[in-house]
Amino acid sequence: MNGQSVTPSLPTGKSLKPSMFSRGARRSALGLVMVLPSFFLLLFMIVVPIFTSIQESLKGNDGNFTWDNYKYLFTDPAMSSSIKYTIHLTVVSSIMVLVIAYLLAVFLRFSTGRLAKWIERLYYIPMFIPSVIATYGMINMYGNHGWLARIMLLFTNEPFMRIIYDYKGLLLANLWFNIPFATMLLSSALSSIPNSAIEGAKDVGAGKIQIFIRIILPLSFKSMLVAATFVVMGVIGSFTAPFLIGPNAPQVLGVAMQQQFSVYFETGIASACAVFMFAICSLVGYFYIRSMMKEER
Amino acid sequence: MTAQVQLSIQKLTKRYKTGEGVTGISLDIKQGELVTLLGPSGCGKTTVLRSVGGFLEPDSGDIQIAGKSVLHLPPEKRPTAMVFQSYNLWPHMTVYENLAFGLKIRKMRKEQIRDAVERALQLVRLPGAEQKRPTELSGGQQQRVAVARALLLEPAVLLLDEPFSALDAKLRNELREELREIQLSTKLTMMFVTHDQEEALSLSDRIIVMNRGNIEQSDSPQQIYDTPKSLFVANFIGRMNMLDGIAENGSIQIQNWELHASPDISGKVVVAVRPEDVRWKDASNPGLAATVKQVMVLGHYAEITLLTEAGIIRMFLPREEALVLSSGQSVSLTFAKHAVYPQSSV
Ligand SMILES: Nc1ncnc2c1ncn2[C@@H]1O[C@H](COP(=O)(O)OP(=O)(O)OP(=O)(O)O)[C@@H](O)[C@H]1O
Ligand SMILES: [Mg+2]
Repeated sequence: MNGQSVTPSLPTGKSLKPSMFSRGARRSALGLVMVLPSFFLLLFMIVVPIFTSIQESLKGNDGNFTWDNYKYLFTDPAMSSSIKYTIHLTVVSSIMVLVIAYLLAVFLRFSTGRLAKWIERLYYIPMFIPSVIATYGMINMYGNHGWLARIMLLFTNEPFMRIIYDYKGLLLANLWFNIPFATMLLSSALSSIPNSAIEGAKDVGAGKIQIFIRIILPLSFKSMLVAATFVVMGVIGSFTAPFLIGPNAPQVLGVAMQQQFSVYFETGIASACAVFMFAICSLVGYFYIRSMMKEER
Repeated sequence: MTAQVQLSIQKLTKRYKTGEGVTGISLDIKQGELVTLLGPSGCGKTTVLRSVGGFLEPDSGDIQIAGKSVLHLPPEKRPTAMVFQSYNLWPHMTVYENLAFGLKIRKMRKEQIRDAVERALQLVRLPGAEQKRPTELSGGQQQRVAVARALLLEPAVLLLDEPFSALDAKLRNELREELREIQLSTKLTMMFVTHDQEEALSLSDRIIVMNRGNIEQSDSPQQIYDTPKSLFVANFIGRMNMLDGIAENGSIQIQNWELHASPDISGKVVVAVRPEDVRWKDASNPGLAATVKQVMVLGHYAEITLLTEAGIIRMFLPREEALVLSSGQSVSLTFAKHAVYPQSSV
């Protein structure tokens, strides 16, 4: 790239001075130009905000360095119960999503029936519905005066159980938003397991359970990990649904952070909250990358 | 040798939804015999093999192994082992784990498994490959491991579905010979599927030629080659000259030459002659008039292309004999051996 390096030409061995217009130079310049936009995007949308947040979170109201924001995060009863609540919700939602998506994917891979065909066509529809609309749909369905409540009224006079503005509602929302994508990932992993691998196992005498545990599960484990990573990140960072149908206390971290920022104008605490969420996601990302590297070896 | 029948297929019919498949297949394979199913692509070889292995449910007919019907058994319970067309080792297991999997399921003891695996790898000439992963093996080595895996199950019948077709010619030859040796030393009963006639001729005790879901002929390689029972078999095995003629009263007219034939055939016929059975003399002798078009020396023999009024004929000669012939020379042809088929049977 720098006009000073001198490369010998192949047939003659004579040295050639790379001009501005030599093919190699032009190519790498083009490459650089094409990489630049994403580099700047990464810099200004991710790297810079992270550092601003860290800086902001370590600054007290007087502008001096302090750990107070983090102390508040973990000692304030409301805040720490929100953290526990978020982690609990994330773990439970992720496990449920993965189990349901895996079962669905296995069903789609091995069933030849008509039901499987229909599910195959329909299961990714939730991905195309904007989250705000889906959330209002959920209110209509499960709300105090929603469809489900009205139908239940036909059978019993008991008050309808609380789903919206409750843990259950958030769980349902997480399932709705994450199952399709996880199913898609796992389906493609399962369909890349050739039939002959399974028939080979049958041939040596393996029954259904052995085939599942020794062949299918290990061969799709990596994709399961990918799916788990995406689901955990998606659930932890979710905002729309918790904002609209989540309970007031304890809150999901995303909503708590928004409240600190725009209701109480506690920029420092909101920043500490953001850094904490980022740390959790980094941890998940670290385990993901580490297991990928292990596989490569 | 009157060995027992090990595998018996009776009137097997399997039709797919598309209407294709096999119909009325009956065959017996004796203990220790290596039988090849040979036929063009799509003739139903795999269908027969998979039915025996239990991966397909036949519409009708029976399959017996050592005298007992196995139709009701799922693949994992059948005393068969299969080597598949595509490599199908399990990529997440080492070679050792691949081989040991079936034995572990049979609850064999650890030391026994280790010994058995070692012996099997020795047999397929891959000693010491235990800890490798399938992706670290070449195609030929992978198929060797697949064969070893099947051998370890000590099946009553070993089924092989074009196991070597993805390999290059030289490797294919090598593995073929190895398989033959293994078969001779283990006395295993094998059913081998291929669409490669050379493979079938070199490997088999018996060849079953299939066409469009039916058996055309079942004979030793020698007989299949020398006396093909139908025009299809004649066409499919080895190279053949096909000449149109008209049969009448015990003779066949090919253009202006008359050939003796059995009297029970008449009408339009096809005369089939192998290139090595074509003989030539000077043009003054009786025979089919021909002109030499091209002499091609191919190693130890020569292929001569001749033009006749009945079409092009190819002739194989030892190299020295071919040196006398030159392009444009007129000769007269006779056949040392030939077969006649009615023309409608194409
Ligand atoms: N699952 C299936 N559904 C419908 N038709 C099938 C199916 N499997 C095979 N066939 C058809 O049945 C016929 C026989 O197939 P088969 O696989 O037995 O052929 P083959 O002799 O093994 O061919 P090849 O040498 O190409 O492997 C083919 O015409 C094929 O198109
Ligand atoms: Mg086949």
